[in-house]
Formats: sequence, C-alpha cells, structure tokens
Amino acid sequence: MKVYINGINAISPQHTFKHEDWLKEPVGYRQVRYLKCIEPVYTEYIDPMAARRMSRIVKTGVCSAIKCLHDAAVEMPGAIITGTGLGCIEDTEKFLGSIFVNKEQLLNPTPFIQSTHNTVAAAIALKLKCKNYNSTYVHRGFSFEHALTDGLMLLHEEPADNILVGGLDELTDNSFIITDRLGLWKKTPVDSLKLLKYNNKGSLAGEGAAFFALSRERKENSYACMSLPAMFYKPRNISEVEHQLSAFLSRDEKTLNDIDLVILGLNGDAAGDKIYYQLIDQHFKNIPVAYFKHLCGEYDTSSAFAVFLAALVIKKQQIPEVACLNKSPENKIKHILIYNHLRNINHTFFLISAC
Amino acid sequence: MENLVEKLKSEIIEALNLAEMKPEQIDENAPLFVDGLGLDSIDALELIVLLEKKYGLKVANAEEGKKVLYSVNSMAEFITRNKKG
Repeated sequence: MKVYINGINAISPQHTFKHEDWLKEPVGYRQVRYLKCIEPVYTEYIDPMAARRMSRIVKTGVCSAIKCLHDAAVEMPGAIITGTGLGCIEDTEKFLGSIFVNKEQLLNPTPFIQSTHNTVAAAIALKLKCKNYNSTYVHRGFSFEHALTDGLMLLHEEPADNILVGGLDELTDNSFIITDRLGLWKKTPVDSLKLLKYNNKGSLAGEGAAFFALSRERKENSYACMSLPAMFYKPRNISEVEHQLSAFLSRDEKTLNDIDLVILGLNGDAAGDKIYYQLIDQHFKNIPVAYFKHLCGEYDTSSAFAVFLAALVIKKQQIPEVACLNKSPENKIKHILIYNHLRNINHTFFLISAC
Repeated sequence: MENLVEKLKSEIIEALNLAEMKPEQIDENAPLFVDGLGLDSIDALELIVLLEKKYGLKVANAEEGKKVLYSVNSMAEFITRNKKG
C-alpha cells in the first residue's frame, strides 16, 4: 500500500522551517562539537500563555507540527504520533535538579508534568483541540521508525486518515556532557560541513524535529510516497546488512537498479561509518550517494531529518550540493533509499518514491 | 503590605514564567484564575509551592486555597496574617 507524504516540516540546525530557502542556503558551523536548531519566532505560532510552560523541544515540536499541517492543508489530523529517543530531557533535568536542591521537598509541578516523553504529542493535541489517536514511541534509534510504522498501519487499516507523524529530540548542556563521557562525540571541535574528513572516533551531536502529514490519498502538492521502514538490531556483520537490504528491496519489488539516490547516515565516526563505506564500495558504486548528519548532527531520531530531506529532494528534483558524497543524480529521481544506523545498534531502511 | 504586594507580583511572574508581563500590569484585586490573569490548576499548584518555599506557609485545604489564591491581595493578606515572628 502506498502512503503519500502531503506535508512536511522540520526545525533543525538548517533553515528548514521555511524549507523553500533551505536548499539554496545550507548552514555550515565552524569549530563546533554540537549543532543546535535554528528556532523560529515561537509567538507567531503559540499563544504566550501556553508557551510559558513549554520547554524548547515542546515549542519546536508544536511549531513544526503546525507548519507541517498547514503545508498539507490539514486542519485536524486523524492521529498524532511522535517518536523520541530522550523526550523532554530539559524538563527532566529541571525536575531531577529540583529534587536534589530541595531535598525531595516542594517540587514544582510544571517540569514534572512536562518531562514525560509524550508531552509534545499532547501539546500538539491541546493546541489543535484534537481528541483523535495520540501516541508516542520511545525506542532510541528506532523511535521515529516505530512512530512511522504505527502511522502507516493506521492508514492501512483505514481507521484514520491525514495522520501527523514526527520524530524529535533535543540536546541540552547536561545531556551533551553525559553522552560525551560515553565517548559519543569528537573530542575536538570540527567544521560541520567537513565532518567526514576527520575520520576519527566520535560524531557531531545534534538535535531536531521533523513532521510529516501522511495520507492514503495523493494530492496535487504531495511530496512523495513511502512504504513501511525496515528495522534490524545489531547486525553481526556486513553480510547481515546486505541480506536485510536485499530483503527490504525485494519486499517493495525493487532492486538496486531502481534506486536513483542513496542517503546514508554517515556521521564522521570512523568505526560506525565503515559499514556505509563497505556498502558504497560493494553495492552503491554506480548510484549517487548523499549524506545528512553534517547538516543536523547525530541524535536518536535523525532519520526523520533524512526522510524530510528525501521528500524534499523528490519533490524539487534537486539536491543541495553540500549533501552529495559522490555525484549528483543526472536522471529523474524516482526512488531514494535511506540507510541509517545509530551507533551500529539500530539499523533502518526507508524507501521514498516519487508519486 | 504594599511592598509585599509588589514583591509578590514579581515572584508570581517568575514562578509562572509570565515573561511578557510586568508587575504593574497585574491588578492586585483582580482574580488570578479564569478571568483576570487567566491562570489554571497547574498554576495553583505552582503558587502553593511558592507560598511554602518563600514564606514557609502551607495552605490547609482546597477551600482555604480558593480564598487565599483569589488575588494578589488575598495572597498578601494570608502571608501577613500567618507570617511567623
């Protein structure tokens, strides 16, 4: 079954909120260890009385969701589904800090209430007065993928249409420090657009929110169509990745010959990127390859940014030069394969096609 | 009392993150909830925490809470009436 992407939006370290401009003006960051979102003027989208309780991720999520629905000309979504790896970590930190400082007494209710992972989906529903299906998936590098799977299944079973699906995560000072201790990030600052040239341990931390309005019906302004993503956990070796890739393409009755562009989750970490380079050498040599984590950084739901990029590339039939790894596509881009993995644990394939 | 009212207005703005608002914009006699400032039940909890944290005062029950949290003035009167020392 085909599902159509009728609206998209992202808030990211790029000027994606007004995505028309973004393709022309990619932003590079010099000497950084993490990338933070370029935030819109929230008051244009959220009433100040409602915004005062919202942390950054809630505001980015609500704004991106609203803009996505506008893009699809949908007033009331049939369901709101989000995926997030760490959820509202800023409010979680506030609440835990308050427990410590106040010796477990006199805790402010707002950060506690807002610290749950489903706060963003709930805030979108409150803003829209939407009482339809509302769910949030929290599965690290599979979070957005599960949200999307749920959305596609709802569309398949036909209990709802015009579904809003999003993936989002925020980076805070504390979460950066803690994950830095785990050795996830490069130890010295890098130029973001040259991320792949360092070829050493660690990646560039990032954050973002990306939303999609999905429907069974194709519209005049539809971006692309998509099928269920494929997920697999901790492959033992490259052969298992190859097997999964082959099974995924066969399921959609495609071969690599049908793929016009591959978008890979290369993130500058030498160990993790090895898998991507092996696949390029062995399977994608003759296919244009693009990458995206030098634009948005690494985070649990960064694959949502890749889907956003793919949908836009299909609709515009152009790809920013800064995202190309080898050559730009010469023919019409009909099928884009996305392959992403988070720390070689959560591996995902997506197929985004022209409609 | 007048100083306390002004101080309380600033503390309410900070506690409830009413960033767009200035103390002089809050009418000390106007209701804090629904009309007036338009606060809600989560704000009520925040104000109860504020009274306990800043002034060491506990609101005994919901009925008393309704009266104490009616306006800035009623909060100031409650503090004056119950302050220790």
